[in-house]
Amino acid sequence: MPTITDVVCPLCGCLCDNISVEVEDNAVKKVSGACAVGRAKLLGHESRIRSPMIKEGGEFRECSYEEAIRRAAEILAAARRPLLYGWSSTVCEAHKVGILLAEVLGGVIDNTASVCHGPTVQAVQGVGLPTCTLGEVKNRADLIIYWGANPVEAHGNHMRRYSYISKGWFRPGGKKDRKLVVVDVRETRTAKMADLFIKVEPNKDYLVLAALRAIVNGFADVIPDEVGGVPKEKLVELAEMMKKAQFGIIFFGMGLTQSRYKHNNIEQAISLVRDLYAFTKFAIMPMRGHYNVTGFNQVCTWQTGFPFAVDFARGYAWYNPGETAANDVLSRKECDAALIVASDPAAHFPAESVKYLAKIPLVVIDPYPNLTTEIADVVIPSAISGIEAEGTAYRMDKVPLRLKKLVDSEFMTDEEILERILDEVLKIKGLR
Amino acid sequence: MAELLIKNGIVFDPINGVKGEKMDICIKDGKIVESVSSEAKVIDASGCIVMPGGVDAHTHIAGGKVNAGRLLRPEDGRKGLEPRTSVCRACSGYSVPNTFATGYRYAKMGYTFLMEPAMPPLKARHMHEELMDTPIVDKAGMPLLDNNWMTLQYVKSGDIEKLAAYIAWMINATKGYGVKIVNPGGTEAWGWRKNCGLEDPVPYFDVTPAEIIKALAEANERLSLPHSIHLHANRLGQPGNYETTLKTYDLVKDIKPSRDRQVMHATHVQFHSYGGTKWADFESKADEIAKYVNRHEHITIDLGAVMLGDTTTMTADGPMEYNLYLLTGRKWTNCDVELETGAGITPFLYSGKVPVNTIQWAIGIELALLVEDPWKVVLTTDHPNGGPFITYPILISLLMSRKRREEVMKEVHSVINQRAVLPTIERELDWYEIAIMTRGTPAKILGLHEHGKGHLGIGADADVAIYEISPEETDAGRIQKALLSAKYTIKGGEVVVKDGEVVAAPEGRTFYVDVRYEDEEVWKEMLGDLERMFKEYYTVSLANYPVQDHYVPKPYVIKAGAAE
Amino acid sequence: MQTITLEIREKVFEGVAKVPVELDGVTPDALCGKSADEIKEMRVWWGNRQEKLGDLFEVSVEGNAEKPDDVKIVCKGDFSVVKRVGEGMSAGEMIVEGNVGMHCGAMMSGGRIVVKGNAGCWAGREMRGGELIIEGDADDYLGAAYRGEMTGMTGGRIVVKGNAGDYVGYLCGGGEIIVEGNVGILAGLGMKGGRIVINGDAEAPGGEMTGGTLIVKGSIKDMLPSFRFESEEEIEGVKLKKYAGDLAMGKKAKGALYAP
Ligand code: SF4
Ligand SMILES: [Zn+2]
Repeated sequence: MPTITDVVCPLCGCLCDNISVEVEDNAVKKVSGACAVGRAKLLGHESRIRSPMIKEGGEFRECSYEEAIRRAAEILAAARRPLLYGWSSTVCEAHKVGILLAEVLGGVIDNTASVCHGPTVQAVQGVGLPTCTLGEVKNRADLIIYWGANPVEAHGNHMRRYSYISKGWFRPGGKKDRKLVVVDVRETRTAKMADLFIKVEPNKDYLVLAALRAIVNGFADVIPDEVGGVPKEKLVELAEMMKKAQFGIIFFGMGLTQSRYKHNNIEQAISLVRDLYAFTKFAIMPMRGHYNVTGFNQVCTWQTGFPFAVDFARGYAWYNPGETAANDVLSRKECDAALIVASDPAAHFPAESVKYLAKIPLVVIDPYPNLTTEIADVVIPSAISGIEAEGTAYRMDKVPLRLKKLVDSEFMTDEEILERILDEVLKIKGLR
Repeated sequence: MAELLIKNGIVFDPINGVKGEKMDICIKDGKIVESVSSEAKVIDASGCIVMPGGVDAHTHIAGGKVNAGRLLRPEDGRKGLEPRTSVCRACSGYSVPNTFATGYRYAKMGYTFLMEPAMPPLKARHMHEELMDTPIVDKAGMPLLDNNWMTLQYVKSGDIEKLAAYIAWMINATKGYGVKIVNPGGTEAWGWRKNCGLEDPVPYFDVTPAEIIKALAEANERLSLPHSIHLHANRLGQPGNYETTLKTYDLVKDIKPSRDRQVMHATHVQFHSYGGTKWADFESKADEIAKYVNRHEHITIDLGAVMLGDTTTMTADGPMEYNLYLLTGRKWTNCDVELETGAGITPFLYSGKVPVNTIQWAIGIELALLVEDPWKVVLTTDHPNGGPFITYPILISLLMSRKRREEVMKEVHSVINQRAVLPTIERELDWYEIAIMTRGTPAKILGLHEHGKGHLGIGADADVAIYEISPEETDAGRIQKALLSAKYTIKGGEVVVKDGEVVAAPEGRTFYVDVRYEDEEVWKEMLGDLERMFKEYYTVSLANYPVQDHYVPKPYVIKAGAAE
Repeated sequence: MQTITLEIREKVFEGVAKVPVELDGVTPDALCGKSADEIKEMRVWWGNRQEKLGDLFEVSVEGNAEKPDDVKIVCKGDFSVVKRVGEGMSAGEMIVEGNVGMHCGAMMSGGRIVVKGNAGCWAGREMRGGELIIEGDADDYLGAAYRGEMTGMTGGRIVVKGNAGDYVGYLCGGGEIIVEGNVGILAGLGMKGGRIVINGDAEAPGGEMTGGTLIVKGSIKDMLPSFRFESEEEIEGVKLKKYAGDLAMGKKAKGALYAP
């Protein structure tokens, strides 16, 4: 069986690039180096959308790519406020066409960051971000803190490749040379491995972080005996650990971005790291979920000036999450058509928003059937990026890697489909 | 491709010694030619100045750091919003414009070649992705090669051959242009929140910045690269740093250049020309620096001039950006890159009310006026560090008009009269000198003049800027206006700007150097070392590291070393 | 005195979607001295298309004015789908008889806006001067900064008779905000100047503040641990505790938080 090495896993933000796969009869038969979820995706046992489809009278009928693409273009070109959403599980080459399409349509373009790490981006825009690439952690870090993140379950290889368990230049002993701290609202599997576990009452992270900052900045005296369910001594202990570390890192997850005080939690956590520079070296990094959520934010930033939630209604980019993110325009019923690419908002958005999404003309491009394809009017199947199509993705630390094509596909790539929709839209608008 | 005839313009083409002569320029198939047929489209340039397209030798326009700057500053993004047109993509930003705006706005100013000077090798792909999306202009990027653990180890063992082999590998792997050095040793030390002076040992690596600089200069000449080392010296932005700067320049004065060019290009020298011991007695030492440059032939500089106003500072010099953040308390981003380099970003307002900023403003201008030979000076603001590139016309008007300088000096802090040299300088640059600093010198120091850039000789790329202004004009306001919106910009023989508006936006090319190191024995040993670094310490695999051809769809390859 | 009435047409509400109309550029400054016909011809954005103002609004004009100070614009009908009402106005008066959409009075530098109903998010964003009265409730980001800016409101006065949402006066640098009712999370977040008075309840008020005065007369949920109690004081007849903070911000924290 031919073996393909140095494969990049197209599943989570770790973007492990040391995977080997064996391919036979145009199918991946064996995977090594990936975690369980990564392996499952690469093996490709999930069911697929078999054909382009258009819904008529409440029923899907199969159709040609051409027909589906034309219908999609008609829907989008007619809209006064189309939404183009998803993007986090496809490659940057598709993002670029998507952004151009949004610009031509005068639409709103947004990615899944707006429901996971959007708060992180907003926090960065408030205070900045002292961060690093994952290799800095591997080679230097002696203190590793996971806050509201559970890599053992969500990012299978993270600790082994990049952090606590990995071995590095200045940390040849791996975890023997490091301390692990976990802060969370419950004792997760990651927390069970920690040298120090701090259990915070749900939705009190902001208060705990404010207290930690006050302690680090020399005002421990004002802190009450307990903050957010954490005894003051524990907070002082953690603050001391952080100040004494040679190189510390906070990895945070959706436990922090999606609890009460959202982006303010992150702003406080980033500010804490910044304050720690008075004493030592520290960094902070979001644990990004989908493998290319970071990539969309990067492309969108260099192409439009803004990372997500960009409204092109007036021909230029207006950025204002809270107004221009996907759930904002859905929950306020502002958009009158939608294109969803490589994502399943029907599974993740508030019920009211999903109900509304079902009411407006909806085009979905995805390799897999999901709740959103069910409520769509046009469904266009695509090749799986990173397995059936190549392209660029950005790791959670913004290191870009090129995904490989491992097997052939009967389906068009996201990029090709979007290019053809764009072409049709330009024709409809008399621009081509 | 169509022929073009630019008639009756006053031409300034320093590389060919053309000094304000009325002459016609003929263009065919994207190149400057001897003559064209009667079919040629005629551009009437009477009453206009004609120059080669501008070359910016140092401008932060693309890559992870620039994008982190954009992401950090939506408030800057909304300053430059322009809607999509039938030719142009939507634009945003002022000091951190989106890639499309970067290409259009440079083209409007008559610039056609840009050098991104600080590419973290691990993120080379990112820089190339952004360069692909920077329309019209040609461009290139230089990888950072001074804080890399491979470099530090070879410097320590004194192995210039392996260092040269490694540099060759890295330039090829990143599809880069030359050797960029930023706060050598200091950026590695920043991995531990420390910094390094010129003679301080780098923590754990037991080499000094001075040794790194010398070794890289030697390796650079060993490979005979088109450009010299491109150096951002230690102690940027610190009071009293001019002494370090002079010592640094002196380090390489005995190294023989392998080509007809400098041995070291010192960048954004404004930030390295500071006297005093602290902010309170901060003063200009531009005169000392200029004196050195005037007396030595191995060095060229670019200004890194400061223009008053709000901007975004960004550099691979992590500790410097942190110190700047401490001064302002504004937001601050830092990103260290494993085994290689780092980056820091913070917004900054240069205010004429602040003594230090006022002196900084003066220093950039002083350097341009005190260095006697314009062939040693490149005009830059170190975009966006000293100010956004869009302020170049202001800078040029200040260099050309003493009257304009005096007007500004009346407005800014009076400290300028005690701690800067500018008030005593009478020199006013003429158009020829401006053409040298914005075309001739940058093309020559980068070795681009041999590849059709920076001049209008027969066979050169037909990159031409036409400004609607008389060479006799001395009014600063009119100079500024003419330079901000070229009457025509022609790129590769195509009219891309007309009357200050972008009328066509073709893709530009990316230039990179293909350099071969010929000693196979050394090459193999270096590869062995490299493989170990990747296996043990990098978080990406060696096979996935080099930039694939896909990311340079319109390449222009310059061969160097054994590949030449 | 010139009184201009804009009554929103049914057309805006047809269809499933509520695509917002944006009314920036329709201020006393811009409309002063214009006839009804001229106003009807003005273009406003409705989604990704520009429409004639007269196609979306019934326009009538009474009287005439020489300067914007003497112009009053009355907005009738459901303006909850209308954004940017009074954005950037510097003089005159705008009356919204019902609810209003986002960014009402954003960046205004003078004049007066009265909203009889509720206002959407970002009312009075980056306000420089003038007066904004909201008789109903205000949504999130009242008198706040735009993303990434250092400072939000720097002058003027905002009064909300009802409740307000999260982030009242985010990054406030000057001016005054008074909320008669309750507010959401983090009122006065990062404020460094100006004065915010909340007569009702608040949640984690004053986070990251470094200056200015924030007064909460109702009860507080999630009082931040990083404030130092200083003294008891009587403010507007209410006995309150004065705290200094937010000490999470270190030594530069010079804000005053008054809480029950
Ligand atoms: S950790 Fe993430 S990227 Fe790595 S193998 Fe598992 S799913 Fe794939
Ligand atoms: Zn620079």
